[in-house]
Amino acid sequence: MTLNEICKILQADFIGDVKDLDKEIKMACGSDLMSDVLSFIKADSLLLTGLANPQVVRTAEMAGIAGICFVRGKQPQPGTVKLAEEKKIPLLTTKLSMHESCGRLYREGLPGCDELK
Amino acid sequence: MKLGQIVEKLHLETRVAVDALDNEVNNGYVSDLLSDVLANAEKGNLWITLQIHPNIVAIAGMKELAGIVIINAREPEEETISKADQERLPIMVSSMSAFELCGKLYALGLSGTKDNAEGI
Amino acid sequence: MNPVADCIGKVYLAVMSSNNSKKDSFTARRKIPERRKTDDLKFTKVQELVYELKIGDAMMQKVITTTPQTSMSKLREILRDNRISGTPVIENGRLVGIVSIEDFIKWLAEGAQDCPIKNKMTTNVKTMYADEPLIHAVSKLDQTGFGRFPVVDRQSKKLVGIITKGHIIERLLRKMEIDYHEEEIHRYRASHIFEDIIADKVALTFRTYLKGGDFDRAGEASSGLKKTLERLGIHPQIVRRAAIASYEAEMNVIIYAESGEISVEVQPGEIHIDVTDSGPGIPDVQKAMQPGYSTAAEWVRELGFGAGMGLVNIKKCADDMELTSSPGKGTHLKIRIDIRTTQPQTKAG
Repeated sequence: MTLNEICKILQADFIGDVKDLDKEIKMACGSDLMSDVLSFIKADSLLLTGLANPQVVRTAEMAGIAGICFVRGKQPQPGTVKLAEEKKIPLLTTKLSMHESCGRLYREGLPGCDELK
Repeated sequence: MKLGQIVEKLHLETRVAVDALDNEVNNGYVSDLLSDVLANAEKGNLWITLQIHPNIVAIAGMKELAGIVIINAREPEEETISKADQERLPIMVSSMSAFELCGKLYALGLSGTKDNAEGI
Repeated sequence: MNPVADCIGKVYLAVMSSNNSKKDSFTARRKIPERRKTDDLKFTKVQELVYELKIGDAMMQKVITTTPQTSMSKLREILRDNRISGTPVIENGRLVGIVSIEDFIKWLAEGAQDCPIKNKMTTNVKTMYADEPLIHAVSKLDQTGFGRFPVVDRQSKKLVGIITKGHIIERLLRKMEIDYHEEEIHRYRASHIFEDIIADKVALTFRTYLKGGDFDRAGEASSGLKKTLERLGIHPQIVRRAAIASYEAEMNVIIYAESGEISVEVQPGEIHIDVTDSGPGIPDVQKAMQPGYSTAAEWVRELGFGAGMGLVNIKKCADDMELTSSPGKGTHLKIRIDIRTTQPQTKAG
């Protein structure tokens, strides 16, 4: 699934300059606890989260996450956006809840991180 | 939908308050941030989280949530269980991730929110 | 400013002391590798650079100098104003001596009667030539224990710069950044690079100071480490593991301690990450290692940390992990990651 398709499914908007519409997303993970993200997430995943602090971008950098989608209309601070631009990590924001976002993506066929071996 | 139906269909393991599974569930709410749940979860939501410490019981009680599902095969702390027992709050565990569990709940028809069919 | 050196804090190039070579046997023993075919070319980059770059490429050109006639009282001002610990002494463009802070203190101890520098300076100055390979400076700095060498032009014998360990590593990192291309990472084989380095007994050490509660900069040390390991051509999976372990450890210091330090040593074959802090310590280390166990305050959890998975994560990423802590004093975490195998040797229990 491409980031562009994900954008449409979640009615999401890009934040910042990194707009890789064709970037391929293989799986997804929804969490607000960065240690769990670091532990479970695989590289090339989309991270859905309700946290919008710089540590989310740091976590994505360390774990090689392909993109971040903030849920419930969360908007990161300019410093966080800048950090993501530096690290070339695309950021999305959707007004949907975490539950709704995960549900829709799963319905459209995107697997979770623990399913895709 | 009754909590008991969800427990059965998604093979959740109930750790406490087995007798309270006839709670009505109107939607799922996924969050690991207590402040977020406090602010945004709604009465009758089934809370999906990684958190296992006793504070989750207090929050769920305050917001009148239908129950809590702890994911990624984590187990609630002992104190969490004893508090939930007092409050008659069902806590389930699942080895699924939040993403997958949401996907399956969604497929069972738990989508959108009470106030807004778009799920916003 | 060099962004790499900036983000990894203080950088050293250490030469491991196990080699008992006499002066210059280093270069005699170790010639520039002959295998220069296309595939081999990439993975010997670090080592090639040390041979191919000249001292003149890495030295600092702007050097503050004095003359034999400069007075010792004037020297006091020069050292103080420029915050330096010595200067080369130049006469008619030629290097005639060096005067250090030690010479200056000796002069103070002798009564500080003003006199020209030439009476107090060291005249037998060890210098290096600008056209020598960088590896000569690496080995000579190590053998002599000197902090710096004046660099002179081989023909004119004129002073052209000064070289320290800091300048060398800064130049190497910058050069690697220039030459760095994404696709090369996957072609590199870490073991090959370090096979070459092992022959030279060179290890890289990075040290970064961490300030407790500084959430704006939290993660910068680990970010710098990740970037550096990538440039060294280490396998992406190993880089990921090292970065995650280091980041979790860094966050622990930021969250729980007043201050701390991350020190990373990249040795041939393995990476050692050492994290020390002056935090409250962990009363029950065994309990702290249990998944989900946490003493974190609510505000920490709201930041997305403190859910009792940090140490578990570190263990999962490491080949070896050792945690020692004494309440009230602080915590010392030692992490070892093998560079030669991509899977951890020990799994989290």
